[in-house]
Amino acid sequence: MVGLPYDCLANPLGAVRSTFDKAMSSDSSTAALDGKDWGASEVFRQFLFDDGGLSQVPLLNSSTMKWVQPNTLVRFRGMIQDMLGNEFYVGAYKDGDKWITNKFADASHDPSNASSDMRIWERQLLYCTPVPGQNSWVECTPDAMRNPYISAISPLREKRQREDEAIKSDVDMVEPGYAIEDSPNLKKMRENGVAFEPFNLQKVVTEGSASNSSTPHVERDSVSCLVKIYDSPESDLKLNEVFEFVGIFTFDPDLTIPIDDKEVMDDFCEDELLCLPPSKVPRLHCVVHRKLGASDLVSSPHLELTTPVIKEIREALIGHLTAILGHDRLAAEYILLHLLSRVHARVDEVAVGKLSLNLTCFNKENMSVLGNNLKLVIGSLMPFTECLPLTVDYLNSVTLTPKKDYITNRLVSGLLQLAEGSHLTIDETPLQSGTLNSGGLENAQVLRSMMESQKVHYDFTYYKMEMPADVQFLILSEGKSNILPADLVLPFHPSSVDSASGVDGEMLKAWRWYLATMKSLPHSIDPPLQKAVEDDLVAARQEDRSLSREDFSRWLTMGRLMSVSFGATSLSMEHWQMVKELERLRKIRFQGNL
Amino acid sequence: MASDSSPINTRDGQSSPDGWPTSPISNTVSSPGDRPRRKRGRQSSYATPSPMPADSRVRTPQATPTPSSNARRRARARRSSATPTSTDDVPPSSDVGEGNEDDAPVVYVWGTNISVQDVNAAILRFLRHFREDPQQIEGKYMRMINHVIEMEGDSLDVDAHDVYDYDSDLYTKMVRYPLEVLAIFDMVLMDMVGRINPLFEKHIQARIFNLKSSISMRNLNPSDVEKMISLKGMIIRCSSVIPEIREAVFRCLVCGYYSDPVVVERGRINEPTVCAKQECLSRNSMTLVHNRCRFADKQVVRVQETPDDIPDGGTPHTVTLLMHDKLVDAGKPGDRVEVTGIYRAMSVRVGQTQRTVKSIFKTYIDCLHLKTTDKSRMDVQDPMETENEASTGDDDSTQKSEISVEQLKELSKQPDIYERLTRSLAPNIWELDDVKRGLLCQLFGGNALKLPSGASFRGDINILLVGDPGTSKSQLLQYIHKLSPRGIYTSGRGSSAVGLTAYVAKDPETGETVLESGALVLSDKGICCIDEFDKMSDNARSMLHEVMEQQTVSIAKAGIIASLNARTSVLACANPIGSRYNPRLSVIENIHLPPTLMSRFDLIYLILDKADEETDRRLAKHIVALHFENPNSSQLDVIDLPTLTAYINYARKHIHPQLSDEATEELTRGYVEMRRRGNFPGSSKKVITATPRQIESLIRLSEGLARIRFSEVVNKSDVIEAFRLLEVAMQQSATDHSTGTIDMDLITTGVSASERMRRENLVSATRSLIMDKLTIGGSSARVMELLEELKKQNLGGGAEVHLSDLRTALSTLSAEGFLAVHGDSVKRI
Repeated sequence: MVGLPYDCLANPLGAVRSTFDKAMSSDSSTAALDGKDWGASEVFRQFLFDDGGLSQVPLLNSSTMKWVQPNTLVRFRGMIQDMLGNEFYVGAYKDGDKWITNKFADASHDPSNASSDMRIWERQLLYCTPVPGQNSWVECTPDAMRNPYISAISPLREKRQREDEAIKSDVDMVEPGYAIEDSPNLKKMRENGVAFEPFNLQKVVTEGSASNSSTPHVERDSVSCLVKIYDSPESDLKLNEVFEFVGIFTFDPDLTIPIDDKEVMDDFCEDELLCLPPSKVPRLHCVVHRKLGASDLVSSPHLELTTPVIKEIREALIGHLTAILGHDRLAAEYILLHLLSRVHARVDEVAVGKLSLNLTCFNKENMSVLGNNLKLVIGSLMPFTECLPLTVDYLNSVTLTPKKDYITNRLVSGLLQLAEGSHLTIDETPLQSGTLNSGGLENAQVLRSMMESQKVHYDFTYYKMEMPADVQFLILSEGKSNILPADLVLPFHPSSVDSASGVDGEMLKAWRWYLATMKSLPHSIDPPLQKAVEDDLVAARQEDRSLSREDFSRWLTMGRLMSVSFGATSLSMEHWQMVKELERLRKIRFQGNL
Repeated sequence: MASDSSPINTRDGQSSPDGWPTSPISNTVSSPGDRPRRKRGRQSSYATPSPMPADSRVRTPQATPTPSSNARRRARARRSSATPTSTDDVPPSSDVGEGNEDDAPVVYVWGTNISVQDVNAAILRFLRHFREDPQQIEGKYMRMINHVIEMEGDSLDVDAHDVYDYDSDLYTKMVRYPLEVLAIFDMVLMDMVGRINPLFEKHIQARIFNLKSSISMRNLNPSDVEKMISLKGMIIRCSSVIPEIREAVFRCLVCGYYSDPVVVERGRINEPTVCAKQECLSRNSMTLVHNRCRFADKQVVRVQETPDDIPDGGTPHTVTLLMHDKLVDAGKPGDRVEVTGIYRAMSVRVGQTQRTVKSIFKTYIDCLHLKTTDKSRMDVQDPMETENEASTGDDDSTQKSEISVEQLKELSKQPDIYERLTRSLAPNIWELDDVKRGLLCQLFGGNALKLPSGASFRGDINILLVGDPGTSKSQLLQYIHKLSPRGIYTSGRGSSAVGLTAYVAKDPETGETVLESGALVLSDKGICCIDEFDKMSDNARSMLHEVMEQQTVSIAKAGIIASLNARTSVLACANPIGSRYNPRLSVIENIHLPPTLMSRFDLIYLILDKADEETDRRLAKHIVALHFENPNSSQLDVIDLPTLTAYINYARKHIHPQLSDEATEELTRGYVEMRRRGNFPGSSKKVITATPRQIESLIRLSEGLARIRFSEVVNKSDVIEAFRLLEVAMQQSATDHSTGTIDMDLITTGVSASERMRRENLVSATRSLIMDKLTIGGSSARVMELLEELKKQNLGGGAEVHLSDLRTALSTLSAEGFLAVHGDSVKRI
């Protein structure tokens, strides 16, 4: 294609309109366009993926939000935290003789001069937040994303405008409910602003950022986004999935005006969006969205996928984990399997493929060093990690499950609203005896059921709704945890407590890539081996009658993970034997412990 | 007349004085009105349909801020007596669509080819002639109208199915153009009422319900706007009742002149700027007179999708309902409702004062009819039930609504329902069919009985599973827990039986943490599944005594003894001592449970692992398949879990079987038979094979079996099956291994009659041995020596004498003061 008449990046709406006009000229009925795409997303797809435009699109976060222009293309990565239902909007209307589309825009129009003809279309509203527990390394390098407009023709002016807006929103934040237009403060500032703008603004901005940085770590980068999805089947987008949305960022000051007319239903706070002022929650009219898998979040180290390479990486990683774990190689092996686990099937109530791990024999002394090291390492390897210190007070006070707030009609996130593939470390060592109240009891039950069936019951007041989850559970405790019975209990035997040596970035990258890639490998078993495994199981059970189906299930999960950890897609006898050996060593530890 | 038409005209911003042209036509269609007052009212509202679509369907949003057309119609009806004045300040401008009507004899609904007259006639025909039953002399709706008049009601419920049956064309029109057709409907109604009772002042509205198809909230889309729809959902929020002004009356502050009522237009009232009185005409003098204004009730209700409509990974959608007048407070949060109404969209103005609107619409449903899906049917008279229902989540009632009672009844009629249910219960666990049957009985339960004297008999069946590890006892428990109405699953190690909270306990030595939860109270009216029953603390176990027979739990706290209901069935499972079941020992000896507690279980099943390679292989195969194939293990002919739950819940709530005479007879006969089995002819040995507790168990079991069939009568076959179940269970657990007969003493005392006999023999043998060997105050003998001696003598009926047996005998003797035992040595005193 030879040069587009519009710039997809800076003027995406232009692209939308020109494609619309083209579609209209070929087929003049708008009805045909109801709920359909007329080729706009094709243009964007081409621009983003085929022409490599994706990397030029700025990623929306708190820092880029300051300079991103309204009505330009941005990217946003986040988890779908809540679905706000569908919204009807004027998709296209006739202005004079010409049809004008409103798709991908928030425009308002004057009903008095609009002609009678218009089409109502619908779009889906999603409330997206940054992925809970996302580690800082997951973000794309922000430096590469410096403001491209800085070199634009009138950079200063533009920037100032944006800053002006930023202040506006700051003021908005300080004085919620205060109408911007009526705010005397702002008016004054504006009047003075002409003269003292540079100083005045600078001051406010620095103040603003100072107060920003004082807020907790998590807050800093947390930009939530209201994403409007067009023409996508609902089943494509599911709650708690991580997506990358590319879309048109809008900032319509019109919409910030608080609607105070006590019209029909406003005493009801009918408009959920009122609770999400655009100054805090940017709108994104999504053009293209794609689901992010584990491997999309890590940068590929440009390694070839060969068995020796994988084996090498695996060996290095095990070595590193062993060092971190005070030279407990067995624990390192188990941790690796644990990190590779994911729910790959659900049969009835059984989530197949999960492998929760309970490392016991932690005490106060080694917890502070080894436990924390372990948490750090996991944080540096897995994209989304959360830690949960389990105490009676904590259980009693916190709300773990997401809960629907019917007053605001929003889903209030709980700690257990986690994205697929998250890792959750539960530190049980600080847990002391104490009484749980009903809330604490519920929390304990929720944790347990989540661990056992990988499902979270979201609280909808009148009923509970089951949401499938896929979260890896690691429990660190003194003795076996009976509150949270894990699939695997392993007494932890560190031989030395030394702080681990640093790892170079390339290595880390390779490991991340290894974990992410191996995790998503498909897996199967050959019929002859299947027979051998079955025989093994039968023989084991003949020998030890106490083996239950849970044990068998665990072995098979481990077998799968073991071969996956070597990059193999089908179970081999060698790996099966390794699993049996691991289990034998684990059993010995138990006997040693008693 | 001009004033009458004004609300319609001004509402849409494009005024058209259509009141004029349509009036003659309305006269020709409807019966000639003989009362001018009425006629005027009718004419004006009759004209409504035509201009309405012009704004509402095409440019809907800004044009319909006052959603209730019903209300408007009513307002007009009231207003009709007022004299026409100059409140109508809209300049007449002719609309293209309406202009033609001046000379056209037929009025069409705007933009369609639906003739108003046709619809009018069709409705009239329907109301007059619809009969459910051809024999009826008077039409169904004529009767209902008369009834409404008698009751001075203000609405007529019209079943849309009736409309469809009578005139499917009318039905289609009604659903597609509800605003217009309903306006005509109301007109016709008013006309009819006026003819039946000219003095009837009230306006009657038609409330349509029971549409042919209902839509899911999720699938509402722009094409549904302005259509009549019906959907199901759950009310999640209700606003307070809002008084909405319908007509305002103003008074001139200068001369005291009261203006004519001003009707709401586009959601607001135009305050007259000039006093209408010719003599006064002062400007800006009008003030609102509140107590002469007319208000109507309004409520905003939010309805959410029911859980079963939500696809995987979605959150429920919500929709707003607008309720008026009588519909206000028709439902309360938590109710499941079926709503019939008109789906509407309204544009959002950017600001109160601005005419600019956002490109976004708010959507809502103008509610015509609200039906709460029969919830009371599912409720039991027990207040406790409803109270808990809310807190534990309505999961079961949720599923019930989907699986209709008819379906369940259909299911119950199948001849092999008992077998099918057995098969469907934990289909992943093989064999153990009799155990499953027992569990099934437990799930259905017997009838609880409360005599006027205060004595009560529990209806809950308690079951104990004893068996080897790895025999999927826990799976069964888990399964039942999932299935039972309000199940609690707990591990014996962590049950504190009482208390509504839980306690985190930490083993000081191992650091193991345990959650102790008050399981029993929490599972009131459900099944309490206790795993590792044998490991339960004695304290908690003693509590179970009370629970399992009296069905209450007493808590003493701060000097107050509270007795809480714990009407729960207990399903416990226990591992034998030493992890494997020792067939040589009795159940009591195998699991360390007090016999008093054992006897409270109706059924005790022994699940022994027979070390069968075939089962092992099957298990191995199953698990391997689970992990490596895409598991779609299709179990044929199995009732799925929700249906099963619904089935059980329905039976538990609605079926209360009574014993038939035949069954009673069989019960007595069987019991006597069982008792008789204990009497061995020619033997003094008295073995108790059945106790009155068994009779109670049998009654409960047979009631449960009748419930399975949804039968209100317990048949003989039920009793026979109950006997069989009991015997199967007893054979396993209460069989005296040395004699092979059932001995209830085993359960009630832990010692079988033959065992007791043997022990007595041993004691006497030991006594005589010691008498022989030892002298009073003489040297002591070692226990091992005595054992050897006894073995030589081969006493105790040929059975091997164990050291433990001897020790028991010795302790009996020492208690008699016959001898003294010091460690290993025995001394005669």
